[in-house]
Amino acid sequence: MKNKKAMILLLCCLFFILMILNCSVMEESAGIFEKVSKVVTSDKETASKTTKAVRSSFGDISEEEEYYIGRAVAAIILSRYPVYKDDDLNHYINRVGKAVVFHSDRPETYAGYHFLVLDTEEVNVLSSPSGFIFISKGLLKRCEDEDMLGCILAHEVSHVQEKHGLQAIKNSRLVDAFALIGEQAMKKYGPEKLAKLTDVFEGALSDIAEKLIERGYDRKYEYEADRLSVKIAAQTGYDPNSLIGFLETMKQESSQKGPKGWYKTHPSAENRIRRAQKEVTSLNYHSEKVPVRSIRFNKAVQGLH
Amino acid sequence: MKKPSLLTVFLIMFFLLVTLLIAKSFIVKIKMTHLRTEPQFYARSLAVLKNGENVEQIEIQGGWIKVKNSQGLAGWIHSSAVKPKKIALLQLADSLKTKANADEVALAGKGFNKQVEGEYKARNPNVSFAMVDKMLRIEVSSSDIKSFLKKGRLGEFRRGE
Repeated sequence: MKNKKAMILLLCCLFFILMILNCSVMEESAGIFEKVSKVVTSDKETASKTTKAVRSSFGDISEEEEYYIGRAVAAIILSRYPVYKDDDLNHYINRVGKAVVFHSDRPETYAGYHFLVLDTEEVNVLSSPSGFIFISKGLLKRCEDEDMLGCILAHEVSHVQEKHGLQAIKNSRLVDAFALIGEQAMKKYGPEKLAKLTDVFEGALSDIAEKLIERGYDRKYEYEADRLSVKIAAQTGYDPNSLIGFLETMKQESSQKGPKGWYKTHPSAENRIRRAQKEVTSLNYHSEKVPVRSIRFNKAVQGLH
Repeated sequence: MKKPSLLTVFLIMFFLLVTLLIAKSFIVKIKMTHLRTEPQFYARSLAVLKNGENVEQIEIQGGWIKVKNSQGLAGWIHSSAVKPKKIALLQLADSLKTKANADEVALAGKGFNKQVEGEYKARNPNVSFAMVDKMLRIEVSSSDIKSFLKKGRLGEFRRGE
């Protein structure tokens, strides 16, 4: 009797495993079907149905979609600010940026992280989804050393890592986008669908650009980015106290500056200092002065005008 | 000691097999990455892994996964470059044909893609992508970043590391 029960259970288990294997194989074959554009109508319908059901929030935006959103937001930023044309400086910023990126939790994005200096006296630093990061000449002039620069870039990398930019997209837009995408199983869109999807794309870009450039991220995201940047900077080997040093500079200047750039889009430096100090203390970090870092930083920024 | 029943043995085997099937496969979710000799971004590249490629996990170390590619080549990739390959367990009840999930949408290049960007560019000629493309071309080589970290005593070259 006992053996019979066990045999039935074994058969059930085997059947279940076969079902799983079958599904797995079906999943792979579906991908192939899509690639060769031979999806049969019934598959199209079911694909559409499942896509709508599966994708519902910013977390469901694919890496490739995030890249196209990030590219376009970067293009919007670059249509408002000119680029500081100094290849050596831009190369140096990218090296510091990469050093920090390697010690974050999300070092790989669709096309990697890229950094660029903006030719403006405005104090600002902006990060677009997927890893397009901009730092202004005005902010660089207030940067004392490589450790401070590393902390500032770590803060921006944290925004990308946590997808704070994508979270600025209104949920209703995502619902519209996912519904549109779900209705079309093939890779190429017809003119009507393309127009509708581009409307949603434009809306999503304006949501992000408004947050980044005009209003700034929610305070909770700024505090989270500070907390993470302290951790990332310390892991890289940069002194996390430099973040506090930078915020102190900003605090002193904020009373003299108008509501523009960094001062407008970030919560008060005073609140941030208090929280960041707590994070740094909990790390028990021992700072080390490395002369090479100062030399290469000074060399990179000496031509700033 | 009481001998485990046949039923218990079957159940353990069943769960082990299911875990094995679910946990081991990954799909490359970014444009491309490298299969490296060591768990370091500046380690030598053994092969290029492209978007959508499948890899099998061998072991995990921190944020890095040692994997085997379709040619049987073993090396390291960072976990942020891949996502676990899902098996459509939840879709079983619906139908065997309902398999186009978010992963496949991504792999098929649907959604906000090059075609949508093209349409956006046509509508917004004042927004130039030329500088974005130039920005993307700024690359830091593996040897360059390794030397940068080493000289600046950063990462694994920190004092006492």
